[in-house]
Amino acid sequence: MERLDLPVTDTAVAGRPTDHQVGRPLGSDGSNQRPLWVRFAPVLLTLPALALLVAIVGEPLYEVFQRSFTQPKAGLSNYDWFFSSSLNVALLRRTFVTAFVVTVVCVALAVPYVFLMTIVSKRARNLMLFLILVPFWTSTIVRNFAWVLLLQHSGLLHQFMAKFGFDVTLIGTTKGVVIAMSQVLFPFMVLPLYATMSKIDVRLIQAAKSLGARPSVAFAKVYLPLIRPGVIAGSVLVFVLALGFYITPAMVGSSKNSLIAGEIWNQINGLLAWGPGSTMAVVLLVLTLVLLAISGLVIRRSSPLQGGSR
Amino acid sequence: MINNSSWRSRSFAAVAALASVSMLAACGSNDSGTPKTSSANAGPVVAGESQPGAFKGARLTFVSYGGQYQKGQEAALADFAKTTGAQVVGDGPALLSKLQAQVQAKNVSWDIFDTDGTTASVNCGTIFMKLDFSKIDVSKAPKGSYGDCYVPAMKLDEMLVYDTDKFGSNPPTSWKDFFDTKNFPGKRAMLGIPGAGYGQIIAALLADGVAPKDLYPIDFDRAFKKLDSIKSDIVFADTGAKAQQLMESGEVTMSYTWSGRGMNSEINGAHVAGVWNQAIEMGDALAIPIGVKDPDAAMAALNSYLGKKQQETMTEMTSYSPVNVDAEPKLSEVAQKWVTTTPERTAAGIAPDWTYWSKPDIYKKAADMWNAWISQ
Repeated sequence: MERLDLPVTDTAVAGRPTDHQVGRPLGSDGSNQRPLWVRFAPVLLTLPALALLVAIVGEPLYEVFQRSFTQPKAGLSNYDWFFSSSLNVALLRRTFVTAFVVTVVCVALAVPYVFLMTIVSKRARNLMLFLILVPFWTSTIVRNFAWVLLLQHSGLLHQFMAKFGFDVTLIGTTKGVVIAMSQVLFPFMVLPLYATMSKIDVRLIQAAKSLGARPSVAFAKVYLPLIRPGVIAGSVLVFVLALGFYITPAMVGSSKNSLIAGEIWNQINGLLAWGPGSTMAVVLLVLTLVLLAISGLVIRRSSPLQGGSR
Repeated sequence: MINNSSWRSRSFAAVAALASVSMLAACGSNDSGTPKTSSANAGPVVAGESQPGAFKGARLTFVSYGGQYQKGQEAALADFAKTTGAQVVGDGPALLSKLQAQVQAKNVSWDIFDTDGTTASVNCGTIFMKLDFSKIDVSKAPKGSYGDCYVPAMKLDEMLVYDTDKFGSNPPTSWKDFFDTKNFPGKRAMLGIPGAGYGQIIAALLADGVAPKDLYPIDFDRAFKKLDSIKSDIVFADTGAKAQQLMESGEVTMSYTWSGRGMNSEINGAHVAGVWNQAIEMGDALAIPIGVKDPDAAMAALNSYLGKKQQETMTEMTSYSPVNVDAEPKLSEVAQKWVTTTPERTAAGIAPDWTYWSKPDIYKKAADMWNAWISQ
């Protein structure tokens, strides 16, 4: 989770020189005396990974950018097409709304869950972690298919709801997609949140109470600011991953709630329209990066409050 | 699901045999002496027959969609491999973008590719090679089932399947009834699949009163207006399994679906029946990418695939209908109910004009409009 705020660290930190120094307790004095290769060892060690990234991420990404401006003809025609098509704009909006709702659902479920994890016995905590990780390690297809079986008409969930007089169709609906996506993405919220929340000193809340704060005030003024970095990191992770979701909407949803990734697939594999498909990917990527940058700023802003959380 | 009774009538066999003899004669006469790289047959070829030992050492990769379908297809190619000495290996899934990348990189590892006729036609000469029909005998393939760059892989119908419990006494008889939710109440399942627009656009026009002979050129606006009229009653299925499940669970009372899925619903105990009137004839196609190592071997494999025996094998192993008019697959009672290639069913069905649908501008328009309609 810390990785996520790295790309924006420098810009965000520019106005806060003190933060910058605090963040490097070892200082730069000592390192100057070391041999050159030792100083550059970390860089050298990352070279193989970097080369791999350039080859398998950078190059294709460049190709996607290039194709969006050159195929079928050079210029901005693909971008004209993208923003003038009501379908594309609707898909984009649907993708962002779905990702947002999934993020909210994950936060709402994960905060109490992780809080419980921090106060129960070690054995119970491990069990709770295990319950999160087992589905996480299970094949995506299997998990999604399990959701199809649960959500489908006359499926387990449908029958259960029908017992109480609710005839809710979940399969093939956005509701169903949100439920399944939230479960698939839940670990990505829980793990960063746990990393933050497990380090919070609960005595701070006791201290707040001993100073006369009502429990609700202590929670809102002390606990919430402390968990905020974890919530933001988890939310960014879940939101960004949700934006690119393809399998769950395809399996649990229907064409009526397909997301933009599905349409990129359709453009490229169905119609061999690499230019338009690449354009959709670029728009999604740029919007995602903008959101990451904004969230990076927000994380920085909230960092003075995190105190003992690191 | 296989038993010993045959579904075909004698008269049909006779007509088909007559027709094929005359077509074969026509085919044999235009055998142009194109250069041959392998030791292929010099005379006119016959579907299903291969020359012993002709392609020893050749290796063909057959690419399809996996599952029982591909198993059946590979079984249909087994005779070719055995006779000619070629090795046929399976791969998949048949991703067009991946194939395009292979062709553009001039490093083609897929030799026979399962796709549909429109895709093969639109990409004919760019991704798929023009076939040499002196080396492939299509005289027994159903009319209109092949084109410059493809031969048929199998046949199925997209048809109206309805719940016999709901409409047993007053069954729907045409697409008009599918779109009539007043007299035939209940939800409708349709195929919410980007590539599945053609048949559903045709069904909408037929329902709106267009005569089959007046379908072309397609009036897209009229078709989508008709489709819009029942949109709130439509549940989209984007896989065959989902289409089947919607019928079996009773969530819908009628379904626009594939004949094979109707059959599977019935096997699973659903009370359903299909309407053959205006059933829309569909099928997969087999094509050969440009740049394969041994085009003659690949074409000889297609020629063998189209044979009577081979098609019987394919049909008996899959739920799809054969693409050799002489084929007499042994089918179970329920499979006979759903096989699409009886003369009566062929006569009642609608064969789309694939030449029209394969025109690049129509292909794109149909894809764009259909896709926008199912996604919103």
